[in-house]
Order: sequence, then C-alpha cells, then structure tokens
Amino acid sequence: MRPISASQITLTLLAGFMIYLLPWDGVGMLLRPDFVLLALIYWLIRAPHLCNIGTAWLMGMLMDLSGGDLFGQHALAYVLVAFFAVFYQRRATLFNRWQQASFVFMLLVLGQIVLLVLKLFNGASLPGWSYFLPSVVGILLWQLVIYSKIRVTGEQEA
Amino acid sequence: MATLQHQEPPAFFIRGPSPLARLVFFSVLSLVLMAVDARLHYLVEVRQGFATLLHPLEVLASSPVRLYRSVSQRFATVEALGHENQQLHEQLMRQAIDLQRLPSLQTENAHMRQLLEIRQILQQPARVAEVLRSGRDPFVQHLIVNIGSQQGVSAGQAVVDGLGVIGQVTRAYPFSSEVTLITDRDLAVPVQVERNGLRAIAFGHGRDRAMDLPYLPVNVDIREGDRLVTSGIDGTYPAGLAVATITRIERNVDSPFARIVCKPVAGTDRHRQVLILTAEPSDAMEETSAHKNKESSHAPHQR
Repeated sequence: MRPISASQITLTLLAGFMIYLLPWDGVGMLLRPDFVLLALIYWLIRAPHLCNIGTAWLMGMLMDLSGGDLFGQHALAYVLVAFFAVFYQRRATLFNRWQQASFVFMLLVLGQIVLLVLKLFNGASLPGWSYFLPSVVGILLWQLVIYSKIRVTGEQEA
Repeated sequence: MATLQHQEPPAFFIRGPSPLARLVFFSVLSLVLMAVDARLHYLVEVRQGFATLLHPLEVLASSPVRLYRSVSQRFATVEALGHENQQLHEQLMRQAIDLQRLPSLQTENAHMRQLLEIRQILQQPARVAEVLRSGRDPFVQHLIVNIGSQQGVSAGQAVVDGLGVIGQVTRAYPFSSEVTLITDRDLAVPVQVERNGLRAIAFGHGRDRAMDLPYLPVNVDIREGDRLVTSGIDGTYPAGLAVATITRIERNVDSPFARIVCKPVAGTDRHRQVLILTAEPSDAMEETSAHKNKESSHAPHQR
C-alpha cells in the first residue's frame, strides 16, 4: 500500500470544489453530483487517519460560504455522512463491489436527506423525486472508483 | 512485560477521539452556527470577506464557459448573422413607427401629469450587469451578477431587463452580487392589474418559474391574460414595469380566496445581461415626500 500524503487529499478535495464552482445550469444543475462529498467519502474510507470528520466539516463550511446558504447546512450533512463512513470504515474496505456501491449510495442519499430536512425547517417547499438524481449520478461516477485501479483499500488489482 | 507496556501502539490504531465524540462536537458546532446565522445575522461580514477571497476562484471556474461563448460567437455563420440582421431591421422598422409617436405622446403625458399634479416619474439610473451563473442551491432562485458594492450596487435595488422586472439584489458582495428572482418563494412584488388598477402582491412560487397572487377574493375582477405591472408603492420598484401575465385562475367554492397563477414577463431564466436600478429607493421616497410637502405648503397660497 502506497502511503498517502495530505497534499494529495487536499488537491482532490479542492478539485471537487472547483468543479462545484463551475457555472452549472439547467439539466446539468439537476444532475450535478456532489463531487466534494464523493471525494470525501473516498478519502474517509481510504485514509481515515488523514481525512476525518473534521475535514468533512471544513469542506461543508466551504460549500456553505461559497453558496450563500445558511451557515452550517452542508457542514452538518457532511459531518453525519462522515460519521457513518468512518464508523463502518474497516468493514467498508472488505465489502465487495455491490456492497460497497450500495453503502456509498446510502451515504450520498443520507447527505441529501439531511440537507432536505434542514431546508424544509427553513421554509423551503418539498422538491420532487428528481431531487435525488445527483445521488444516482454520484453512484454511477463511483463505479469509476470500483472498476479503476484507485480502489478504496489502496491495493492494486490482482 | 514492563517494556511492552511503555511501547507506543502502531500508527494503525491511533484514531484520536472516537467518531461519536467528533460527530457530537461538529454537529453542535454546525447547529450553533446555523442558529447564529439565521437568527442573529452576525456573520454577514464573514460571508462578504470570504466571497471576496473566493472571487478569483469563481472567475477561474467560469472562464471555460466564457471562452466557449466567445469562440462560438466568433464562429457564428454568415447565414445566422444575415438572418439576425434581417430580424433586427424588421424590428427597427416596427419600432421606428412607434418612436415617431413617442415625442408627441411624451409631451401629452407630461402635460397630463402636470394637470393631475402627480409627480414626474424619476429617471432611475441603471447599470448593466452580466449574469455570471445561477445560484447553486436548487431550493432558491438566485442569479449571481458581475458587479457588486464596489460599483455602487447595494442590497434592495431592483433588477430589470428589457421586458420587465427580474428581481431584487439581496446580497451585495464587493465584486459580485446575488439577485433573488421574483419567482423565489421569499420575494414579494407589489403589483397592479394594468386593465383596472387593482392592487395586489405577487409572491414567487418557488418552482415552475411561476408566481402566485394569494389573498384575493373569489369574485375579484381578474381575467386570464391580464398584465400585472409594478405599483411602485414599496419604493423599491419604479411604478409601471411589467411583472407578469395571468395564466390560470381557479375559483373553488370551498375557499374564500381565488387561486391565481401568473407567469413572469421578463426572462428570469434566459438573459445574460440585466439592468440594476442603482438609485437608492429611500432617496426616491424622500424626494417624493419632500416634493409633496412643498406642494402642500404652496397649495393654500393658490387658493
């Protein structure tokens, strides 16, 4: 297993954030997966000693600050997702690909549900089912992780 | 045994505080921040400072799209340009006819206003702003435009395009500002039905790019296709700007209110350039009231 440096993690997270900053519009906006959360989940499972709940919280704050939302919404959602990711981290590295995909999908949906609940408390109206499309697209992107050589255990394909 | 006890555990087992402890700590931190932001509004400066820091990143992120736009503009075909030219000519012809009538109408209108002792409509200075992107939050209807408080934009100013009202500036950052569209749930526009002068307040619908006219009785005199214009009562929007047209009216027997849905006239989701009316609404109000006071003080002398 190659050791992972903190700069690697920072770079990936910043790249995800830059993609989030792109001027999304229309269908892209509807489908846009949460790149930052995907990168976070990957690192939380792969390197929990470097990327932990605090990192998730920091990234959430960054998202809140850039989006002009209420402070702490994304932060809380990311913290909850990170908790479950870290809590099951050792088991997640042993999951087979379907178990892993469903685990990540549940994490993505959990993040969206937390955000939805917070928005509803804040007076937003209930969105349609298309609200969860980003999670679906996100899990499709996750297949890249499963089928490529950047596996969450850090082991090369045998 | 003694030496074993003093040994450091291997790095694999070092995990710091337990996940649960971290979860509780950061959740409470987030909740406190949320409460502070929502109820106390202490964090406005923090947000503005951060937006300034983030501005170069945003410009960088939007540069590919800008590049694409400029390149595609450069390579527009002769055919398309010719077509557009023809369209513009036709439009010019039509407008020229209207324009010929305009001076006479203007003088007539000014005359009538004087007769009616109504204040002259203030000529509002406006600034052209370019739309950088739409808001990232799917729950709110925002636009981010490229001029901010450094260019004289401040929260509360009205935003219009060539067709009508688009929305209102809700946050002004130093180099960009956030415009809340009239279709947002939290925005209300005081309007007037153009046909009969009936006043109402239009609320954003949140979804479907539509607006509602709530709290109007079932027997209200509104028809489908009626145009709504700003009434100018709030001092934010100048009077007479087009806002929306009525698209649907539902009158239920079991409800004392009619359900009226209307569609914004302005291109709330189409335009790249918008106009921000930069006159301070409060100045306009003061000027009007001063004007009125003067007139009322003059009135006794005339009689």
